[in-house]
Parts: sequence; C-alpha cells; structure tokens
Amino acid sequence: MPIERTYFWGIHAVPVFYVLAALSVVVFLFGVYRRVSVWLSAPRGRPRRLGFSPRGAAMVAADGLLGRRLFRGDLVAGLMHALIMWGFAGLFVGTVMSTVDHWFVHYLTGGTYRVFSLCLEILGIMLIAGVLIALVRRYLFRVGRLENKAEDVWILVLLAVVALSGFVVEGLRLAGQAPATEAFSFGGAALSRLFSTPARATAAYPYLWWFHALAALGLVAYFPFSKLFHSLAAPVNIYLAPQSGRFSPGAEAGEGDDQAASGPQFQFNELVSLSACTRCGRCDAVCPSASAEEPFSPRSFIAQADAYSRAVAGSAAPLGRTARHLLGRPAPLPGVPAEQSWFCTTCRACLEVCPVYIGAFKPVGRVRISEIEEGSGVSPLLTKALETLYTFGNPWEPSKRQRTGWAEGLEVPDVTAGAQAEVCYWVGCTTSVDTRTQKLARALVRIMAHAGVSFGTLGQKEGCCGDIARRVGEEGLFEEQADKTAGIFRRYGVSEVVTSSPHCFNLFKHEYPAGAVRFRHYTQLLDELLGQGRLAPLAPLDAVVTYHDPCYLGRYNHVYDAPRRLLRAIPGVRLVEMAHHGPDSLCCGGGGGRMWQELEGEKKLSEVRAREAAETGAQILVTACPYCLIMLEDALKTAGLEGRLAIMDLNEVLGRSLGLLGDEGG
Amino acid sequence: MDIVVCVKNVPFTQEADLVLEPGNKDVRKDNLAYVINEWDNYAAEEAIRLKEASGGSVTAVTVGSEEDEEVLRRCLAMGADRAVRVDPGDVTLDASVTAALLAAAVKPLPHDLVLTGVQADDMNHGVVGPLLAERLHLCHAAVVNGLSVNGSTVEATVELDGGQEELCSLPLPALLSVQTGINEPRYVSIMGIRRAAKIDIEVASPDSLGLFSADLTPDLTLEEMYLPPETGAAEMLAGDGPAIAARILAIIREKVGGSNG
Amino acid sequence: MAEIVVLAEHREEQVREVTLQMLSKAGELGRAHGHRVVAALLCARSDGLVGALEGRADEIVVYEDDRLEHFDPDAYADVLGAFLAERSPLLVLLGHTAWSMDLAPALAVRTGHPLATDCVDVLLDGPAVKVVRQVYSGKMFARSAFRSAGSYLVTVRPGSFPVGTTSGRQTTITRASAPVFSAAAQRRFAGFRDSSGGGVDITQADVLVSVGRGIGDQENIEPAREVAALLGGALSCSRPVVDKKWLPKYHQVGTSGKSVKPKVYLALGISGAFQHVAGITGAGTVIAVNKDRKAPIFRAADFGAVADALGVLAALKTELLKK
Repeated sequence: MPIERTYFWGIHAVPVFYVLAALSVVVFLFGVYRRVSVWLSAPRGRPRRLGFSPRGAAMVAADGLLGRRLFRGDLVAGLMHALIMWGFAGLFVGTVMSTVDHWFVHYLTGGTYRVFSLCLEILGIMLIAGVLIALVRRYLFRVGRLENKAEDVWILVLLAVVALSGFVVEGLRLAGQAPATEAFSFGGAALSRLFSTPARATAAYPYLWWFHALAALGLVAYFPFSKLFHSLAAPVNIYLAPQSGRFSPGAEAGEGDDQAASGPQFQFNELVSLSACTRCGRCDAVCPSASAEEPFSPRSFIAQADAYSRAVAGSAAPLGRTARHLLGRPAPLPGVPAEQSWFCTTCRACLEVCPVYIGAFKPVGRVRISEIEEGSGVSPLLTKALETLYTFGNPWEPSKRQRTGWAEGLEVPDVTAGAQAEVCYWVGCTTSVDTRTQKLARALVRIMAHAGVSFGTLGQKEGCCGDIARRVGEEGLFEEQADKTAGIFRRYGVSEVVTSSPHCFNLFKHEYPAGAVRFRHYTQLLDELLGQGRLAPLAPLDAVVTYHDPCYLGRYNHVYDAPRRLLRAIPGVRLVEMAHHGPDSLCCGGGGGRMWQELEGEKKLSEVRAREAAETGAQILVTACPYCLIMLEDALKTAGLEGRLAIMDLNEVLGRSLGLLGDEGG
Repeated sequence: MDIVVCVKNVPFTQEADLVLEPGNKDVRKDNLAYVINEWDNYAAEEAIRLKEASGGSVTAVTVGSEEDEEVLRRCLAMGADRAVRVDPGDVTLDASVTAALLAAAVKPLPHDLVLTGVQADDMNHGVVGPLLAERLHLCHAAVVNGLSVNGSTVEATVELDGGQEELCSLPLPALLSVQTGINEPRYVSIMGIRRAAKIDIEVASPDSLGLFSADLTPDLTLEEMYLPPETGAAEMLAGDGPAIAARILAIIREKVGGSNG
Repeated sequence: MAEIVVLAEHREEQVREVTLQMLSKAGELGRAHGHRVVAALLCARSDGLVGALEGRADEIVVYEDDRLEHFDPDAYADVLGAFLAERSPLLVLLGHTAWSMDLAPALAVRTGHPLATDCVDVLLDGPAVKVVRQVYSGKMFARSAFRSAGSYLVTVRPGSFPVGTTSGRQTTITRASAPVFSAAAQRRFAGFRDSSGGGVDITQADVLVSVGRGIGDQENIEPAREVAALLGGALSCSRPVVDKKWLPKYHQVGTSGKSVKPKVYLALGISGAFQHVAGITGAGTVIAVNKDRKAPIFRAADFGAVADALGVLAALKTELLKK
C-alpha cells in the first residue's frame, strides 16, 4: 500500500459529505458575519485610523498566540489553553493541508506523510489532554472564578468528542486496513488493537466516520455562535489594545449629534472587546467592587452589554426586521446594566489581568454617558455635584471664592496676578476645599519652596480639570471644563504643570488635546528634586510604612518607583509592601465618580484595603492621592483600625522629615 | 394633556456673601451665579413626568431677559416641547406684574394644567402662581407636595403646617404651585442643553401681548433693602473641630444637667 | 379711624396661632393709630372658635355657613370680598399659610386691592402703608411701600409677632350672613392626613441633634444619630434632608414639620431658613455649626461656630466615646 493519506475509505455518498460541509461553512460564515456586523454597527463604524500597528501585532503574538497573560497566577490554565488552542488550530491546519493534498497537489506521501501523521496524532492528544485538564479544573477542583454554565461543558465535551472520535475512527480504519506502516499514527494504532476483527472494524467504520464528520462539522457551524468566537475576536481586540487602552470617548462622541440616541452607543473597539470575552472571571477576581460583594461584576457587565448590543444590532439588521414583521412584534431588548454601572471605580485592575485585554470600565463609561443623557438614573448627590461643578467650577463648593482658602498664611505666588513661575502647581478641586486634603497642598508648597522650585498657582482662576465629569459620562461638561482649563494655561503661558491628584494628572496628560504643556504628578517632580539633591536634609523618621499605589498613578501611568524612592530616601523608614501592590494595587474606592454616589455598603471596599494595610504591621500608610487619603482615612475609622495605623500623604511624610510642618501637626 | 410650567432664573444666594448696591435697592448680582429656581425645577420635573406618562405637551414660560433663557433651555433639555420668554423691558416687576405678564403669555397656549413653584428663592412672594390662576380663571391650590391626574380632575395633596396635609381635588384646567420634594428632578446633561439650544424660544413683550403700562403697575415699590439687624447675636465658639466639640459638650452638660454627655 | 381686619385662620375647630399673633400686631397698630381691630371668622361652626378670639379684637364678624366648613378659596373670597366692599377696611391681615396663599391672591385679583405677602412687619407711616419682607434666602430685609389704594392686603409670616394676651376689652360679636356664592364649589376637600407620624417623637427630647444639607451625605446621618443617642437625645433634621429622603418626615423640624422645645438644640450644617427656625422658637439653647458665617441660623442661635459640621460631628463622637 502506498504511504499516503486515505480519504473516504469505504465511505459512500461522499457528495453528501461535501454538501454538509458546505452547509456547515455557510452557517459558520453567517455566524461570523452576524458578529462582525455588530462591530460595524457602531455609530461611527470602524476607527478612522486602522493602519498597521507593530505594537499591536507584537501583542497578538505574545498574548494571542503564546497566551502570555493566561499563565499569570495560574500556570495550569495557561497550559490547558495552549494545549487546546494549539491542538485545535493544528488539527484545523492539518485538515486544510489534507484538502489541498486530496484536491490539488498530492504531496502527503512517503516521509512527508509520516511526519504529517505523527504531528496530527500529537496534536490530537494535546487537544484531548487540554480538554481533560479543563474538565478536571471545572468540575473536580471547582476553580472559584469559573462559572460552569451549560455552554462551558458542551463546548469541552464537543471538542473532546471530535478529537476522541477521530482517534477511534482512525483506529477502526487501521484495524480494517491493517497497513504495515501505520506506526506513526500511534494513537490510532493503539486503539486499533482493541477491535476484534478487521471485518467488524470495517463494518463499524462508516458509522463512526459519519459520527466524527458530523461532530466536526457541527463544531464548525456552532463556532461563531458560542464562546469559541473569542478565537477570532480576541486577536482583533488584542491588536487594537495599544490604541484603546484609555477610555477617551471624546474623539468619537457627539460632534453635532442632533438626536439624543437612546441607550448606550458602544463604539467599534468596545463592541469588539465585548465579543472577545470567554467569561474566565479573572476580572471579577481582581475587581475591588466585586470582591467587596457589591452588586457589580465586570464579567456579567460585559455579558449583559454584549447581549444588549447584539440584540440592538440584530433588531436593526434586515433579518431582524423581517423576523419582526413576520412575528408582528418587536422583541424586548435585554436590559442595559445601568444601575450597576455606577459601582465601577475605573481602577483598571480588570484590564491589567484580562488575557484578551478587555477593560470593563470602557463599556461602563459608555453606559454612563447614556445614563447622564437620560437623566433620571443619576443619583441626586451626583446631580448636585455636577450642577455645582458647572456653575462654580468645583463639585464640592458652591462658591468660587473658597478656592484659595487652603493657602491662608502661606506665601503662594499667583501666576494670574503676574508672578513669574516655571512650574504651575495645579491644586485641584478636592485638595483645595476639603479640610483634610488642604494639608497636602500646604505641605507640597512648603517642600517646593524649601527646594527652591520656582512655582505658582492659578489662584482663584483655577477651575476643575473635568475628570469627574468625564468619569461619570458628562462629556459635554468635560469638554467645557477642558476648554476653559486649556485656555487658562494658554493665557498665562503655562508650560509645566504639577498636580496633587493623579486624576488631574492622568486627565491632563492623556485626555486633553495634545499641546506644549508638560504635565507631571508631584511625586515625579519630587523624585527629580531628590535626584538633584534638593530635597535635603531629610531627618530620620523611625517608622515602618507601607505605600498604597493610587490607580491613576500606578496602573494608568506606571509610576511605581518614584514614590518608593522618595520613601526609601528618608533614613529610618522601612518600607513594607501590601499583598496587593504595584500593578496589583487594590483600589481605595474613591475613583470613577464614587465620591458622589450613595452606594449601599460602599464602605466595605475601602475597608478591605485598609485592613490589608494594617496586616503589613506598618505604622503609617502612605498615599499620593487626595481621594485615596480621604477614602482610606475614613475606612480606617469605620474598620476600627485608627489606633493601629496612621495615614499620611507622601507630601506630609517628606514635609515632616524636612522639618517643614511644625505648626501643622502633619 | 397640555401642561404649562412657569420657571424663573434666580441668583444662587444660599452660600454667597451678599453686598448691597449703592442706593440700597438691591444686591450686587454681577458676582452671583444664576440657577433655575429650586421650586420651579421640581415643577418642571413633575410636568415632564406627566407628559412621559400620558403624552401631551409641555411648554415652559419665563419672564426675564435674554440671559434668563438658559432656564428655558434647561426645561427643553428635560423634555419640554416649547419655550416662551416674556421680556419685561423696563417694567418694574413684582408678584402682581409678573402674574399679569404670565397670564397674557399663557392665555393663548393650550393648558390643561399649569404648574409653578411655590415661591422664588430671591423674592419669596409665594403667590405668583395663584395670582396667575386667578387671572386665567383657573381653579388653584398652593403648596402641593403630591398630585395625580385622573381624567378631567387632578388630586392634590396640600402641605399644611405641623406635618399635616390636606387632600383635595380640582377640576381641570387648574393651576398648582408645587413644593420641593414632590419628586426627584433628573440630571440635565450639558449635551442635552446644547441640543436644546437649537430649538427656537418664542419671545413676547408687553406690547406684543397687548398690555399697557397701566395694566402693569406694581403693588409694592421697594424703598430700601438692608442687612438683617444683628439682634441677640450668638456667642461664637472658636478653635478646631475637637475644641468646638468640647465646648458644645460643656454647654450641653450645663443646660441639661444630669449624666448626659 | 379705620379698621384693621384679621382673617381668623382655623383648622379642625382650633384657631391657628398665627391668628393670635396677627391680632396682637393689629392691636398694637390700632392703639398707636386709633384704628379698630376686627376679626373675620368664616366657618361652619363658630362656638369654640369665637371664645379663642374674644378679648383680642374690638369686633368679631362671624360668617357661619356649611359651605365654609372646609377651606375653599372661591367661597372664602366671595365672603371676604363682600365684607371688604361693605366695610372698606384700611388693612386686611391674613397668615402666610398654604390656604392664604390661595385666598389672598383670589381676593387681590377680584377686588383689585394691592397685596404684599410673607411680611415680617407692617408699618403705618402717615397715609402710607409699608411692609418689611425678607428676600434672598433670608439674607436681606426689604421695606416696600404700597401703591395708593382703598384697602391693603397683607399676608403675615407666622412667628413674626408675639401671641399677646387677651386685653380686658369688650368684643362685639356680629353675625353676618354669607352672600350668595358666585359659583358652585370647584375645589373639593377630601380629607386631612398626618404625614409626620411614626417613629421617634422628637418633640419629647431634651437634646436634639439636628442635621441639615451641610451634613453632606446620607452616610453621615448615622454618626449624628449615634451622637444623639450618646447624649440621651434624639435625631432631627431640616427640610432638605427629608426632601432627599435621607430621613423620614417625622424627624423634620420647621413649619411643615414639627415645632420643638428641647433644652438644647444642636444645628449641624443647617442654614437657618425661616421655615426651619420657626420650629425652634421654643428651644432653650440653640447651638449652630455652619461653614457659612453669614448663615441665617446664627441669628437664631445662642452659640455658634463657623466650622465644618462633619468635623465637629466626628469630634463630638470621639469625645463621647472616650467616656
């Protein structure tokens, strides 16, 4: 017998197979079309710039192909996925190669064929092994973050059935054909020994062959209608990730929208990400809100948003409209998770761990935009804060006068009054009016003066950067504040800005129109001063401290080391790290507009972090963000940890060490 | 059902320092921010909710200058269909004159129900609504903190003092002056207001409404505005939070005696 | 000599306190300028009501008619309109209450007499009649003069004048008959309801810790409640707190809430709008904490602190827990 691949041995009605195969492919393509048309149903279609992104491609290679993030914290998951993915993909490629061999160029012969056959065996076993690991993880070990829905088990079973039946079919054939040189098909060869007689095997073969064919074709057809679609959506999402790491709806949103659209208007990138989710639950595991048992789960938010957008696209599509005509009624749209959207702190922990780079905070932001438009679902406290912000340039105080109250007794140069300054210190709304955080501003001003920095503030002309407006979905208000602020920077020739709040810093740096101004957070400025020897003399502070990475400084802007260098520079300070630090830092709960929500049980989120800080045994918890300070200080009180742990801003710690805070008490 | 809601743009004085103008007839307003009168915001929200529940139209009306149009834009953004501004020109306004202007503007509008706020935060008259109702020969009830429309009547809850309420019903068309807390006003987004800026606001004047200055004589002429007399000023406690708290506790202990605090 | 008429407002067989306050002021004006004080009583049953008014006016004109049992601006305006046409008083005083906010305008438009509302003082300056009102969140007073007219209508803010005593004077009681009413009743009375019931009775507490808008957030109510409990008192609040649904209505102090007379009333973050202050006129010692040094509450307080209510609340809690 020639050494080559056997096709349709003993199979009659081969044309039927091809018809079914064609059908299966048509269904597959239709399914893919349905999904992709959801992406394209975005109000502004494809993103304008879709050029080649080397970074995107590199990430697809590292995360899509190698599944880099899957291994993080869960080696078994990474292995399992690699086995399944490569097993399946390899077998698919094998099928393609066979088709070419059968119909066009007969090249799978001799040695080529033996290698080919061996590879397929290995791939088949990989797939089965991967599926077995998956089943064991889900149903025996019961890994916490997995949901175990019906779809999950069916997909795994289907994959296993296809692979196993493939081996059985091969075994039957080998038992029936009994060729001499099928040792390379070792799997099938092993199985073939199980079958009693060649005659029996030959008789059984067609049935098993059709079973395997139908299972495989069924899998192909089912593919885009199930979670498996992620294999197509995920690479696209990963490719787009470098461009869409930030939620900046401004560029795409409402230029001259005449009609208020009803419901959230997800954009292309967001729709892609919604369809790439495999419900692995890593986001839920790191989400501070979900972990504090609030009624929010990034995973189910994504799922609901996905169902909603598919229903909207479906009902608008020709098929959907026809169906409605025939049925005579519109199907009710699944709900948009509007109420839940207010819980998200936008901390980005989800994006940090998602193997396919989905950030739940992005569709959350989109839903918030539509909630703000609609108006009735906005909490009264937030309504008041936004209206106060609109009228007075500050969400806290209905008064413009109070902006400079924090500087009482201090000599702070006012750039708007003509003072010359190299650095403009942007105090921020919260820092300037909240009695606790005013101390941060006072400390920083003293430190900068001590270090000989030429700085000034914008006095009463300082407005709001607009962060809270953007985070809660008030795009119109954000644009107004941004315009005003950019205008003020221009008017007073500001070229360098340093902020107290990482939120202001992040917004200025990444979400304001690109300009000539350099924006930094105060930790970066102080780090530079430290390097220049201008933060001296640092008197010893005998204390064990732990540092809380603010989300908008750490995860959003990768500033992890500067604050730590500053702390370590103080003699006597011993820095211990919390269990979650750096990119894993746990949000304090103050971001994403949560300061102005009245969420039930919202204290718990901050208390979780406060307890984690206390567990380090540190005496001082150090933060670098006014929200973090307010939230965690409050949490220390409500969790009863006040005696164990004090909380200070980095400014205050440095100020104390430099001996500048005598009368303030720090 | 066609609803007319009367709204006013007022200076936000609650947490502002007020300074008298020279002449002592009014306060300096150039440093004050303007907002929709709080009661009128509740009235507008109520009107929009009624429209959302049972269809019809909402027309927002104000007496004011061009800068006051922002209060109408807000109502349009909330969902009102039409907006009318009566420009008073040089006419001195008091409750009765405002009511006369409103009456002339509202009369030609379809109105099954007219809603106003109980009072305006600046002048606090509290009667423009009922005065308007009288001029339009509408049945009226003031200080309403709950209402529901049933066909051709409206059932209203009037807020009396001491926690008591009166339940009554009035035939439509009627006018109700609405108390704060009747509902939870929605947030009005900036985008919404911008979109509403494209809707035309109809402007009327005493002339165009057929009113002569004789019809618009105010009942009251302001003689003098002055700061409240400092009668029996409070003894101020100084210090920070803990110091003040300590003194408060000392005062309580002294006044109440016993083992409290 | 002219007449000063006071509309006797009453509800459920009780004369409202504002009526007695107005009679006291009318009496003062009457004595100073030689005018007669007449109380106008419109009701279905006058027995108990007349007694409360005797000695406080020179004359009580009683209109007793079933149609006047429940307040109805049309019926009342018809009666009073006829009365004014007949007697042409100089001044007509009504209380600035929800009912009179319907009645006074009806009277003004139908009779053509000028109207001033929510006045805290009335002045007779020669031939001119002037009123004093509060404007701009109670931060400014405004004195205005009426245009010249036959009669002047004034609604008076409750609590502006003292209740006064019954003088020894003789009161004539005149029974008048209600005119034919111009139209069938339009506004129909359907009943009274007490919305402030339930829960804690704040009128019984010795110490009230009262929170207002300045408390910031709903979650800050709980510490206030704790402090109140530690002081052996109760928690109360101003209207905005109830409007926001942070506390049920039975905690509300003020004209549309409860009047309280505790030994100590601690107002945290309350601005002191008159509607609220009206509810604490009987309090022993009022201590106010507010960030705004110009807040009207300081005029009504015995002790004040210009500070953040939350900070003081937290400090109070800390201090009390130390013991």
